[in-house]
Amino acid sequence: MRMRLSTVWSWLALAVVLIWTLLPIYWFLKNSLLTPDEIARFPQPLYPLEPTPAAFFNIFGFEYEMADGLVRRGSGQANQIIRGLGNSLIVSAVVTVVTLFVVLPLAYVFARLDFPHKNKLLFAILLAVALPPVSTLIPFYAMYVRLGLSGTLVGLIIVTLTITIPFVTWMLIGYFRNLPQVERLARIDGFSRFETFVKIIVPLGRSGVAVAAVIAFLFSWNEYTYALMLVNGTTANTLPTAISGFLFQHPEPSHLAAAVVLTMVPPALVAFFLQRHIAEMNLVDPVR
Amino acid sequence: MSLKQRTAELSNFQFSLLLALPVLVFLVLVVAYPLGYALWMSVHEISFFGGYKATFVGAENYADVIDDRKFKKSLWITVRFTLESVALAMVIGLLIALVLNRRMRFAGLVRTIVILPWCISLYGTGIIFSYLAKGQTGIGTAIAYALGIEEAVNVVNRQWVIEVLAVGNAWNMAPLVAFFLLANLKTIPSRLYDLAAIDRMSRVGTFLNVTLPPLRFTLFVFTCITTVLSMKLFDFIFVLSGGGPGTSSSTLTYRIYKESFKDLDLGYGAAMSFMLLALILGTTLLLYAFWGRREARSI
Repeated sequence: MRMRLSTVWSWLALAVVLIWTLLPIYWFLKNSLLTPDEIARFPQPLYPLEPTPAAFFNIFGFEYEMADGLVRRGSGQANQIIRGLGNSLIVSAVVTVVTLFVVLPLAYVFARLDFPHKNKLLFAILLAVALPPVSTLIPFYAMYVRLGLSGTLVGLIIVTLTITIPFVTWMLIGYFRNLPQVERLARIDGFSRFETFVKIIVPLGRSGVAVAAVIAFLFSWNEYTYALMLVNGTTANTLPTAISGFLFQHPEPSHLAAAVVLTMVPPALVAFFLQRHIAEMNLVDPVR
Repeated sequence: MSLKQRTAELSNFQFSLLLALPVLVFLVLVVAYPLGYALWMSVHEISFFGGYKATFVGAENYADVIDDRKFKKSLWITVRFTLESVALAMVIGLLIALVLNRRMRFAGLVRTIVILPWCISLYGTGIIFSYLAKGQTGIGTAIAYALGIEEAVNVVNRQWVIEVLAVGNAWNMAPLVAFFLLANLKTIPSRLYDLAAIDRMSRVGTFLNVTLPPLRFTLFVFTCITTVLSMKLFDFIFVLSGGGPGTSSSTLTYRIYKESFKDLDLGYGAAMSFMLLALILGTTLLLYAFWGRREARSI
């Protein structure tokens, strides 16, 4: 009997965790399937009575004819959404590649080799993690206004790197440190140090490298603060800034929700991978 | 070929330099230079109108910030928001980790769902929680009507907005805490739980003496991480409450944004942002001095 009771409790606990996680997401995303009629209702219905995918067509500028013959027009924001989607993909891809090129050697050196002033430099990296984006932005903003870099993808990419590089470096230091000590063996086999790094360490740590890439991609895909102040309202706008067009202009909750669903696609795709590998990244070790 | 041979003979230091120097130069470019520039700006009065102009004013910006009553209010809001966020994120993270630590079917699926809040963006979280908490669209209103109380329930008000922000922030951060604690939990040998059972240790006793000790250093590190993340948080607050109603949720980051990018007083904003940086570093150092040092020694 006691055994049963504890099983009931653990199922209950699991249910609470799942509700805590999913309820907020559900409550907002249901808007994407509501009809305009249902959205105008007060209080809002708990679930879509007649779910319709119209909003997902509308945000790309397509019309959608409902079952009752009513035509829902394409969103006026469609151009921005499409351009934002393209820009977000470009920025995230470039940031991911540059971050990996910069971070892999840096993390390796910090994790496996000793050199003078190592701890001070490590502290500089942690300091960079602690910098608030709003503060980093002030000097960049002043600089960009004078250099004409505000409102450009290049400018946005450079600032975004200031978030991804320190964090991913920190993550990978702990990871590289826990890899087996193969350097000496590689030396005996005639590998140079550089070859050891490229041909042995990186392949050996490929799951860590993959997590690093995924995190760098996610961080830049989700980045909003910099985009808001540097590229909002220009041709370099990213998906999040395109969405804030819905937020502060006339309210169209179903379009907003559909656009937010769009931003959640990459995070949802990598979630399964991340839940398996994230804890391999040792955030705790480098601090010790 | 000769280059390759030479590389093989490099000392540790030379090799580190070869690999890390270009990277460090880059890092200096993206971290040290902006920081230095911000420092320079904080002792100048910068104006954009009628052309870019910077006048040296010494420590005046800093003195103004300290005298500013709005700054003190924002400081207090930041502290309150951070305390609540960190406490919630750590407790919820620990609870999630304990739940996930049981053997169950569909463990991969459950864990994929649980990590989702951390994967989605903070502005997305902001939009989601503003819909969840505001009176017009909120879940509180829907429940109240379902129960027959015909009244809108709005918690994004002066009294509760910071708590709403803290819950949303904790919702976003807790999965990260949970996954790292879970990794620690997995390393506890089940033998220890058998021994605790033989000793007739109570549930609370088992938790305190068997489960908690190996988690303590991770708990410390993530308390620091969540503290830093909460103090530097901006986009989520901007989207959810916009610092309002009034200025009731204007954290330091929001204040800095307003001074620098709305009022374009970049020198003043830079001075305030150094205060925020001092707060962040000071808090983490204090955490280390009073908690982390002890934990690090005990391992």
